[in-house]
Amino acid sequence: MMRKQFLAICLFLIGLTTYAQEREIEFTEFDMDNGIHVILHQDNSTPIVVVSVMYHVGSKNENPERTGFAHFFEHLLFEGSENIDRGEFDKYITNAGGVNNANTSNDRTYYYEVLPSNQLELGLWLESERLMHAKIDTVGVETQREVVKEEKRQRIDNQPYGSILAEIAKRAYKEHPYRWTTIGSLDHLNAATLDEFMNFYETFYVPENATISIAGDIDTEEAKELVKKYFADIPKGGNEVPRPDIVEPEQKEEVRDTVYDNIQLPAVIQAYHMPAQGVEDSYALEMLSTVLSGGQSARLYKSLVDEQQKALQVVAIPFSSEDPGLYLLFGLPTIGGSVKELEEAMDAEIQKLKDELISEREFQKVRNQVENDFVSGNSSMTGIAESLANYHVYYGDAALINDEIERYMKVTREDIQRVAKKYLTEENRVVLYYLPKSQENNQ
Amino acid sequence: MKLRLIYLMLFALIGTTAVAQVDRTEAPEPAEPKEINIAKPYTFELKNGLKVYVVENHKLPRVAFSLSLDRDPILEGDKAGYVSFAGQLMMRGTESRTKAQLDEEIDFIGANLSAFSTGMFGSSLTKHKDKLLDLMTDVLYNPAFPEEELEKLKKQTLSGLAASKDDPNSIASDVRGVLNYSLDHPYGEFTTEESVENITLEDCKKYYQTYFKPNIAYLAIVGDITPKEAKKLIKSKFSSWEANEVPSFEYETPKAPEETYVALVDREASVQSVINVTYPVELEIGDADVIKARVLNQILGGGFSSRLMQNLREDKAYTYGARSSLSSDELIGNFTASASVRNEVTDSAITEFMAELIKIKEEGVTQKELDAAKASIIGSFARSLESPQTVASFAINTAKYNLPEDYYTNYLKNVNAVTLEDVKAMAQKYIKPGHANILVVGKGADIAASLGKFGEVKYFDRYGVQYDPNDRVKIPEGITAQNIIDKYVEAIGGKEALEGVINIKTVYEASVQGQKLTLTSVKNNKASKQAITMMGMNFMSTVYDGSDVKITQQGQNVPVGEEDKKDLPIDAQVTPELNYDKLGVTIELAGAQNINGKTAYGVKVTMPSGKTSTQYFDAESGLKVKSVVTNEGPNGQSMTSTTEIKSYKEVDGIKVPEKMNINQGFPMTAELKSAEVNADLDEDTFKIK
Repeated sequence: MMRKQFLAICLFLIGLTTYAQEREIEFTEFDMDNGIHVILHQDNSTPIVVVSVMYHVGSKNENPERTGFAHFFEHLLFEGSENIDRGEFDKYITNAGGVNNANTSNDRTYYYEVLPSNQLELGLWLESERLMHAKIDTVGVETQREVVKEEKRQRIDNQPYGSILAEIAKRAYKEHPYRWTTIGSLDHLNAATLDEFMNFYETFYVPENATISIAGDIDTEEAKELVKKYFADIPKGGNEVPRPDIVEPEQKEEVRDTVYDNIQLPAVIQAYHMPAQGVEDSYALEMLSTVLSGGQSARLYKSLVDEQQKALQVVAIPFSSEDPGLYLLFGLPTIGGSVKELEEAMDAEIQKLKDELISEREFQKVRNQVENDFVSGNSSMTGIAESLANYHVYYGDAALINDEIERYMKVTREDIQRVAKKYLTEENRVVLYYLPKSQENNQ
Repeated sequence: MKLRLIYLMLFALIGTTAVAQVDRTEAPEPAEPKEINIAKPYTFELKNGLKVYVVENHKLPRVAFSLSLDRDPILEGDKAGYVSFAGQLMMRGTESRTKAQLDEEIDFIGANLSAFSTGMFGSSLTKHKDKLLDLMTDVLYNPAFPEEELEKLKKQTLSGLAASKDDPNSIASDVRGVLNYSLDHPYGEFTTEESVENITLEDCKKYYQTYFKPNIAYLAIVGDITPKEAKKLIKSKFSSWEANEVPSFEYETPKAPEETYVALVDREASVQSVINVTYPVELEIGDADVIKARVLNQILGGGFSSRLMQNLREDKAYTYGARSSLSSDELIGNFTASASVRNEVTDSAITEFMAELIKIKEEGVTQKELDAAKASIIGSFARSLESPQTVASFAINTAKYNLPEDYYTNYLKNVNAVTLEDVKAMAQKYIKPGHANILVVGKGADIAASLGKFGEVKYFDRYGVQYDPNDRVKIPEGITAQNIIDKYVEAIGGKEALEGVINIKTVYEASVQGQKLTLTSVKNNKASKQAITMMGMNFMSTVYDGSDVKITQQGQNVPVGEEDKKDLPIDAQVTPELNYDKLGVTIELAGAQNINGKTAYGVKVTMPSGKTSTQYFDAESGLKVKSVVTNEGPNGQSMTSTTEIKSYKEVDGIKVPEKMNINQGFPMTAELKSAEVNADLDEDTFKIK
């Protein structure tokens, strides 16, 4: 018995040292006088370069009467600039053989281009134009309003279960700006004046709120000079960038509701309040989600889909964010099955996690899966550029691209049991039943 | 001239004094393009013929093994689908591991592992590679092919086919294969409900035993491993794999049609037409034309800025997207230009397609288009190299298709060398507006008349079989809706026998995506009761006692509209067709249709509520074969539900539907389990509780 324990401790130690020895993503970073933070990762194996800028502005920075602004800018800032004609932004990139895109979350907005590496300067010019003097005028606002409407129709209104996040968010948050989603309100966008758009641009699209992340076939020193060439003369905004400091009051009792939607199959969603990303418990919760739904051998899939056949699909998704986020469980019952029974079965699986420690073998499996996912996240230049920017913007520590795995590996079996007990409770959750519209007006 | 000089000098001065000044008005010039180096993999061959390619890449502590078989395409015939089944079944258990055990062991090391008919793929962190290879070789050497997994796979495949059976894009893809290559060619045949039923476990095992052989296999190892390590590992795990001769096949080369014509697949419910202008192309992988032809296609229909996209989407707004492809292949490639367009612009869209083909063939392209196309191809080639898998696949393709050793190293040089003349020559060689199949899947009644200008219009069914619409889908003069109903009544037992039926109870078992439902129905000409249960639980029930009605769904009451109540007395009839006039039901002719290769006459039936359905009756037997009901959905959109009756069963002298395919947004098959005519019914059968 003693020997076995000793062996386990040895294995654990070896485990620790292996993680420390893994290859590191190397990078250089510096601050410019105007406040832009720059991160450079040099990898000359393929002649491509990713040029990206992350702005620390998301839907949580919006005026509650003007929701959807942050995402709207993700569209508006492709309209052109003082030196780039309308519609030409994309063309410069495709004609150079590159691709580009952008995305917006609750917390930040991200723009990037993947270019042949001899076009690095083109990417920097385009991004500096976007930050310095983007074209914000009535024509652009009108055009992009239509595009965003189409996007909302296609991705949310016309999508079965597309409204889940919005329906959950407005019930889970009473005070915090996470109560609305990034797409926001079309009415707000319609009501907004050009001045308001200008004002948002001048408040958030300023050097001190921008992080440039470049990864790929560069010479670090040369790239530094080129970044300075295009960005150094962009003046500081000068004002402090406003950040919401609203703390969502603790939820005291379960919120439960039914939503009728254009769907064939009903669904059950449970959303539990979870701590902000980076907090110790949030790592334990992330690992808990792998216990529940990582791969075909995970608990929810194996028990509810394979064995009991109560669900067609069931997953656990932690929505980690800068401020405390939500931990979602989503289940689709088999055809004809009831949502109530499925929910009970999901609750039973959660109860099991609270009652019994997971086995050593299962725990090891989850550690291995988490490690594999962490390593695989850095397999492309686009992934590395975005991760470096995220780690800097959220934690002020880009080195987490190499080190964050240690935080996962610190989580114990007991931690997983503890966070299940602490967060996955009735009074801490919102439960929604999604039912087909045909069942409305029943009672 | 002088002015300009001064200007230049001024510029130079500014340049030296104020370094920070940037000319922002123009896009910066690109730097010297970097040379693209493609690493050369380390290769070796085992005695059993397995060829191994190692691409070392230590950036991440990961390694991937991808095994691919090089065999001739196989004609599967009436068992189409078995080859793919064989690959999928390999992952469903080995001689020593059940599927659940295999899943757990793969997850335990955080790995991915999959098998398919022409190979396998596995990846994991470096430190788990030995275990990964143990699992991979167990699947490779000892698949168990469990009978129950074959049944599960058949069920899953059948529900997939049921869903795609009426999908216009699936129809287009299946029929395109038949038109370009014929049903007797491996590229022309496709999996059908019938062919799935024919697949046996023996077929799958035999495929596995014949083709999973090292002498036709390539193994690419990519990632954090040295050639030395790889060699040792592969020798120890793959040397025992036994070689054996693998059969080879030859096929006749399909030809483009003599003359352009229209192949119409008539799909009544279509609001959009799927258009494919397509024909087979003889262009072998590695041929000197391949790169030049890629440039040509890039300009014609390769991306967002292509001519087809700009014309049909940006300029005319006929479609969300129009594109083309020109593929090279070891047997036979194809050209396909495609778009989905609104019914009313179907012919206009085809006119634009044909005009673009003729234009590029006659006039070629511009220098600007050529430069943009090259930039786009070069950019995507460079991005693809980021994945070390690409490097391995280049090496394997070079061996598989006997390409010149420097084919991929010279690829970009050859892209850059393409001239305007080359593109024009390619267009003249490969663009054939005069020898195309113009395939249209759409609503014949709306579009057929406008298609004659592109060539002869031939009709094809969903399976690519041609038929003559004049012969087969016209209701002959003199036949009335009442004639058709009378013939149906005769066919299912005759007026006298049917009038003697005072009640009927039927039980159907249905399967929806693998779930079993039981559908029970009782009617006695006055009252009716229907119930859907699943695993013993009541899912939905309707009880009508002759005056009142109650509908419950998952234990909750569903309100019934006043209009809907008007139809209840008709639903209570065992054979409402006997008394349509008395019941207030009106009927009219609704045209004929080709259903599964047979002609059926349509009758439009209007209920007292105003609800309508179209019922189709087989022209020969008189039996009802299909019914289509269109309802208004919750948002005013139309929702169609279709029931196809595949066979009937005789019960006490009357015919009752036996097998049915029902589609109400999701596909379902139903089979008659029992039918009782004039049964002793409990008094309270129709009692509303």
